[in-house]
Amino acid sequence: MSKHKFTRACAALALTLVAGSSLAAEKKLTVGVADALTGGGAVYGLPQANAVKMAAEEINAAGGIKAGPDIYKIDVIAYDDKANPTEATNAVRKLIDRDGVKYILGFCCSGSTSAVASFIGNEKAVMLVGNAAERSITTKKIPNLVRTRPPADYTGQAAGTFIARKGQKRIAVLGALDVGFYAQYVDSVEREIKKVGGEIIAREVFSLKDRDMTPQLTKIRGLNPDAILVVGYVEPAAFVYRQAVELGMNIPRYGFTSGSEEQFLRVTTSEQMEGVWDLRPTELTLLSASKNGVAYHANYTKKYNASPSPSSPYAYDQLYALKAAIEAAGTAENTEAVAKALRNLAVPPQVVMQYQPVDGKMFDVNGQAYTSNGAFQWQKGKWVFVEDLPSDSKAYSQFLSTLK
Amino acid sequence: MLIEILQQTINGLAIGGVYVLIALGLTTVFGILGIAHFAHGSISMFGGYLTYFLATSQGLPVLAAIPVALVAGILLGMLVEILAYRPVRNANHINAFIVALGLTMMVEGINLQLFGHEQVVIPTGLSRVFRLGGITVPELRLYVIVAAIVLVVAMMIFVERTKTGQAIRAVAENRDAAILMGVNVRTIPLIVFGMSTALGVAAGIMVGALFAIAPGIGEGLVVKGFAVLILGGLGSFPGAILGGTVLGITESIAAGFISSAYKDVIAFVVMILVLLIRPQGLLGRAP
Repeated sequence: MSKHKFTRACAALALTLVAGSSLAAEKKLTVGVADALTGGGAVYGLPQANAVKMAAEEINAAGGIKAGPDIYKIDVIAYDDKANPTEATNAVRKLIDRDGVKYILGFCCSGSTSAVASFIGNEKAVMLVGNAAERSITTKKIPNLVRTRPPADYTGQAAGTFIARKGQKRIAVLGALDVGFYAQYVDSVEREIKKVGGEIIAREVFSLKDRDMTPQLTKIRGLNPDAILVVGYVEPAAFVYRQAVELGMNIPRYGFTSGSEEQFLRVTTSEQMEGVWDLRPTELTLLSASKNGVAYHANYTKKYNASPSPSSPYAYDQLYALKAAIEAAGTAENTEAVAKALRNLAVPPQVVMQYQPVDGKMFDVNGQAYTSNGAFQWQKGKWVFVEDLPSDSKAYSQFLSTLK
Repeated sequence: MLIEILQQTINGLAIGGVYVLIALGLTTVFGILGIAHFAHGSISMFGGYLTYFLATSQGLPVLAAIPVALVAGILLGMLVEILAYRPVRNANHINAFIVALGLTMMVEGINLQLFGHEQVVIPTGLSRVFRLGGITVPELRLYVIVAAIVLVVAMMIFVERTKTGQAIRAVAENRDAAILMGVNVRTIPLIVFGMSTALGVAAGIMVGALFAIAPGIGEGLVVKGFAVLILGGLGSFPGAILGGTVLGITESIAAGFISSAYKDVIAFVVMILVLLIRPQGLLGRAP
């Protein structure tokens, strides 16, 4: 090789290296979070937003998202939707139109989530729903929407079976029954207890802002129920548990709330909570947690100086599912390809919740993921995982596919 | 049935006591100075938050934190009068109205900045429950009812039996005549705002101990306070006491015997019905 040819070869090699390194250049992927950061829904929304930020830091520290030749570092923008449909619509429009965001996570609460779900199908964006449990969110077959939390009635069916097995026949319900998914949960419970001759003898209501439940509880007490079932947000539910004890109601208390110990103890004492059941998806409690769950709990507590709410990993898992889908699709730009990849995704190894895949996939054809359900009981200041509640994700998925 | 009615009445008395204190604060300001003090609810919540802060972050016993918060309330009320309402006292009524609205937003914002967005419950440690026949009365509710009665009686004695109270009533009746009689009308609004805010702070503490304090709760409370004012009769102290008690018990009985879904609606329907029969309110003077 002549000296001239050697120089040219060296130059070409250098050029190739430079070009190669610029092709694999680090890019920024901005993901949006629309969630309740203030107000009544913040008990679910704020921990979700925190969980997404924590997952983003972890992914960035581990090298980012590799999409084809590109490596993306994640940047998170979080807006407060106050669990309000109008605010949520504004927040998501701002994320898409102003910030140019293609992937939107969070969504703790059903009303606000349903509002966004109604138009997200027309956008070049992917929506990943967390804690919002209203069934209709995944019955519309929106191709660019998936949800990590199972619908409320999927859990209600398992809860009803559990209550029926406990032998209580006359159940009084007190809850946020004007919220669709809580009513669906109660309907499912009712179907199951009717099979063993049980009945729901009262359906009393509270709103998100109610704190005095004694009128409803006094009425329920007069009906002599075998048990009460409390369905609703953590804060009002905590007041129900506290005031039921104050009114001398010494009967089993079942609930569907997903609140952490910390959240309940802001309102009640541990003694007032003793024996309360929470029948819900097998979310995060240390006794039911996988190795990932234990690590998540420790990291979250260290980072935010507070325990994570049990439902917060739904949002944490969203980002890992998104990462896996982008890597499988080989692109972060083509949202259609990423949405398709999400539908074909196996459960990523980093997730915290214990998902029950349908046909080997994390999300079914409706974009719905399923976790196992569990019975948790308050024992000496802590939620204790007592047992799994039998749940058939495949059968429910087929049922969900029949709905419009 | 009788036990349920009695239980619902006792349930309603505690929240009724809170309504009475809020309404008394509002009616004092409105009756004497003619100001619709919308910020009263938010300032009440400030008092509740302050008690919580003193009891939890500063380690004061709740019984020591309460008088500190009440004194802070009196001073805050005086400050509000000097800074917010005094400059517009002789201006058009709309000016005081706008100031009241602005003040509400400002105090809500201050509460949010100082105490955060989380709901807080004032820890009292009172968890005993008294039982009499089929009726149960939680210790805390009993103390709230007693405290409300004591405060109302103290205020009535202050207004009816003291010289300052007489001066306040004189200004309310006829400001010009009061000036001619040598009443220092510059200090009366200060005293009125101090007294009104202290009552509001007491109500805020009760709400914080019985239920919870959170952003937005003060606004709901002031709406109920004005409803009580209208129900009892504008500017009438006995009317505020009767109106607040009636509203609290009506809410409780309506939720228990009709439907909890329409608790607030039913209470307001009762208010409208009363006004149809007595437009001046239960104890208001006919024009």
